[in-house]
Amino acid sequence: MASLARILRKRWILYILLCLPMAYVVVPVLQSDTKYFADPAKYLLDYVGLAATWLFVVVLSITPLRRISPKSALVNTLAYHRRQIGVSVFIYAALHFLIYYAYTGSWAEFVKDWDKLFILSGIAGFVLLLVLAITSNNRSVRALGSKNWKRVHRLAYLIMFLLIYHQAAQEKTGFRETAQVFAPLLILQTWRLGLYARKTLRAKNATTDSPNS
Amino acid sequence: MHISKRQPWNLPESAATPEADFINRRRFLKAVGLGSGALLGGSLARAATSGFPSKVNADYRLEGLEPTAYDLIKGYNNFYEFSYDKGEVQELANKGWETEPWEIQVKGHVANPLKIDVNELIAKMGGIEQRVYRFRCVEAWSMVIPWDGFALSKLIDLVEPTDKAKYVKFTTFYDPKVAPGQRGGSIDWPYVEGLTIEEARNELSFLATGIYGKAIPNQNGAPIRLVVPWKYGFKSIKSIVKIEFTSKRPLNTWQDLQPKEYGFYANVNPNVDHPRWSQATERVIGSGFFSKRKDTLMFNGYEEQVAHLYEGMDLKRYY
Repeated sequence: MASLARILRKRWILYILLCLPMAYVVVPVLQSDTKYFADPAKYLLDYVGLAATWLFVVVLSITPLRRISPKSALVNTLAYHRRQIGVSVFIYAALHFLIYYAYTGSWAEFVKDWDKLFILSGIAGFVLLLVLAITSNNRSVRALGSKNWKRVHRLAYLIMFLLIYHQAAQEKTGFRETAQVFAPLLILQTWRLGLYARKTLRAKNATTDSPNS
Repeated sequence: MHISKRQPWNLPESAATPEADFINRRRFLKAVGLGSGALLGGSLARAATSGFPSKVNADYRLEGLEPTAYDLIKGYNNFYEFSYDKGEVQELANKGWETEPWEIQVKGHVANPLKIDVNELIAKMGGIEQRVYRFRCVEAWSMVIPWDGFALSKLIDLVEPTDKAKYVKFTTFYDPKVAPGQRGGSIDWPYVEGLTIEEARNELSFLATGIYGKAIPNQNGAPIRLVVPWKYGFKSIKSIVKIEFTSKRPLNTWQDLQPKEYGFYANVNPNVDHPRWSQATERVIGSGFFSKRKDTLMFNGYEEQVAHLYEGMDLKRYY
């Protein structure tokens, strides 16, 4: 585990890993797969969107994983790369947005569906991701001050809810896929909240207990 | 350009209008090239194999519209009985699901109920004909498909519905052993669809047993399926085992699942949006990444044949 973590710590390896979803998309093209050729824009739209969603789930899992297992070398490596993975979420989301434009075929068609909650949730999520991507550099941390910067980047949780809705709304029946993608993240976040609640409770007890001890 | 010489990749059933006759040779070679892997599945001699070659019905020819490549028709399928993934259905529907022999039952308010093998039914209907229809999915994509089959009205005339018959209810096969999608999920299997008796009697309503002059591939709804081209694709129920003439309106599967999004009529209508996307335009299957959308036509271009069925009806309400 520790040696795997050491390899993964290299930036160039991370960049290769982050490009893999894009490389994998050529497989159906090379295999002459009809599911790609029938409607390439639709296929790429779904594929890139799902890649962005998975990477987003990885980024939001890092903090709870650190709370649960602070000593894990693998978790710490993930944490070390968090900003880069976060930016890659934005890049995949931007591609998803551009492909959506191609999918609609023209500007008139593109703006037609913005009144629908399904589309609006995607656009809102993308705009918020843009804000996070722009403020992801060290200069922004200095300019905002780390407290404010953290506040801004808590927008990630708002994006999470927008994304859950966006993902669920594109399913025609049930919420199977959405559950598959988001259940692990929600479990981790709930666990983390549990740890936090226990800690504050214990701290509170410690302060009330102190006069007697 | 007409190709009279049989190409080696053509299957032995002779077709009234095979794919090669619809498109020029260069495009045909391209289409075959990009889907050669997919040729393995689907079109083996199964399903309702009788009645070929079918006769071309010149009244339903769609001048100026090029039919969708055969590989795309049989490689891009919504058939939740097998998978939610349109690219996966072809493989899963050809893994041990037998569609020949196949018995179909016609019952309810009729004078002459039937229980008959599909091949025998084809003989009883006087054979099959080929019609080219537009196909518009509720997901805003479309194809053009040369179907082989017979008019539903012929079957209706044979069984003679009584005065009590106001609706026709269609039911798909149910066999979770071979259809993995039927083993779970949120759908109440088997799949059910319905038409009013007037809709069923309309000249366009068609029971298809073939595509491109060959027995219909399993994933396209073998061995017999409904085709109602002025309605969204989900109304054209696949792999029918039962047709019932009823006095009450049947609850079709999609309406049962999501009544706010899918109704009983489901007529193609560019002016009534789906809650999540516009229905004003459609993506043409096989037209590539950068292609513009096509305007969706009222009743999918069949206004002349069907508009009278809905006169005075609020189509926004009865979607």
